[in-house]
Amino acid sequence: MTVKKRFLRVTNLLFLILIAVQFLPNQISDDPQTSYVLWFAAGAELLVILVSSFVKKEQGLNLFLDIFAFIYGLLILWTLATAKFNLLQEALFPPPGCVFQQFTEDIDKILVNIQSSLGIILQGYLLATVIAIPLGLFLGWSVRLGNAATYISKFLGSIPPIVYIPYGIALLPTFRSVSVFVIFLATFWPVLASTMSGVLNVEQKVIDSAKVLNVGKITMLFSVILPASLPQIFIGCNQGLSVSFILLTSAEMIGARDGLGYYVKQYSDFGDYTRTIVGLLVIGIVVIVISFLFNKLQRSLLRWKR
Amino acid sequence: MSKIEIHNLTVDYTEKNKSFTALKNVSFSVEAGEFVSVIGSSGCGKSTLLSILEGINAPTEGEILIDGKPIIGTGTDRGVVFQHYSLFPWMTARKNVAFGVKQVKKDLSKTERLQIADTFLDKVGLSDFKNKYPSQLSGGMQQRVAIARALAMDTDILLMDEPFGAIDAKNRTVLQELLLELWEGDGTQEKKTVVFVTHDIDEAILLSDRIVMMSAGPGHVYREIPVPFDRPRN
Repeated sequence: MTVKKRFLRVTNLLFLILIAVQFLPNQISDDPQTSYVLWFAAGAELLVILVSSFVKKEQGLNLFLDIFAFIYGLLILWTLATAKFNLLQEALFPPPGCVFQQFTEDIDKILVNIQSSLGIILQGYLLATVIAIPLGLFLGWSVRLGNAATYISKFLGSIPPIVYIPYGIALLPTFRSVSVFVIFLATFWPVLASTMSGVLNVEQKVIDSAKVLNVGKITMLFSVILPASLPQIFIGCNQGLSVSFILLTSAEMIGARDGLGYYVKQYSDFGDYTRTIVGLLVIGIVVIVISFLFNKLQRSLLRWKR
Repeated sequence: MSKIEIHNLTVDYTEKNKSFTALKNVSFSVEAGEFVSVIGSSGCGKSTLLSILEGINAPTEGEILIDGKPIIGTGTDRGVVFQHYSLFPWMTARKNVAFGVKQVKKDLSKTERLQIADTFLDKVGLSDFKNKYPSQLSGGMQQRVAIARALAMDTDILLMDEPFGAIDAKNRTVLQELLLELWEGDGTQEKKTVVFVTHDIDEAILLSDRIVMMSAGPGHVYREIPVPFDRPRN
């Protein structure tokens, strides 16, 4: 790629505009913490320049630069609409500098909340998949049980897990255990259903070629049926994961004493919309990072698929 | 006593309350080390016959004896190559072969199994492709892997169900020669007993010692013809 293609891009132009915009006169009463925006932009641009210098594939570079162009563009609009022209309600929409400043100030608290939320999700989610996948394999493999179980799991899975909360609260000691229980249910049914349908859809020819190798029952289930149905199983796992995040953050907004949902809810109750926006952004980042890692895992386990 | 004895095999299918007979009173035998082709047009029951030899299906009447003992289900004495999907798509060529070896030789270590896999992949000329997944291999290469696996399992009997039926003519010739070369070996080992299903008469003549011709309505053995040509034939 030429130097022009690498460095003379709209992204870099937007970076310069973003910096320039910061020096317009402010029209709000509070300090808009402009230096935080400048630091953030500088960090982002450093990353952009590094990536532009070293990435080999043009397509990958384009995607990366386009994403940063959007981020810069958004920050420009955000700065203009708040600090510079005061078009939005000041109390509800703090300027970006304040949000960045609040983020750095609260980072310890935020990490604790992330840890708490992820801990609950991980526990409920792993428990559900570890039970649902083997169970789904056995049920799907035994034809008669599987047929009945498909209907039962469809019925039970169609009940939104959030309505089990009253039972969870009545039976379980802590908010945390109720959350784990709800996430367990949110993950268990879709994973069980997708595992069973995966098993039922394994091609007869695959099963025959395993049979003629004279494989034992356990090998058949875990070395043949499991990998053959893995693409389907992942559909259920994906569904479980996204529902888990929705449920957990909602639950945390209702009754928790920590967690990301709690962070957002607590501060919005006190009218602290800077922290509310910090919380929203952090939740977005956490979900994106988790789904990115999950996708990596999925791709590596299914790399044999065309 | 022959290696494989097929006695009065009859197979009835029931489909949507209609029953029909796929095989009727099929009898023939295969000697140890013999290469026998079963040929016939589609619908003559040759694949049904092989599926019973494989142990995937059971006959309605009659029985098959291997070394004098009736077969019940699948067994480690028979290696199988199908026309399609013999390989597991989630395993590399090497793992596919090693997985087959593991089912017959449970006491071998993982390293030993992989070594055997490498040896046989080398024999079929796929050393450079051993870490590829089936989806990354051509149809001919996939069949080479399937043959490597069947041979690596070192069973007495090889059952092949139109293994080259979906391969283009040029590659088919190459694979036929490879199969013969591997079957004949270097003379130090006992030859495998092969039952080879095909609808291609030229293929049957090139490969086999004897040809069993089947015809439909219901499937039965029509003629058995020894192939009178000396080897090598090309």
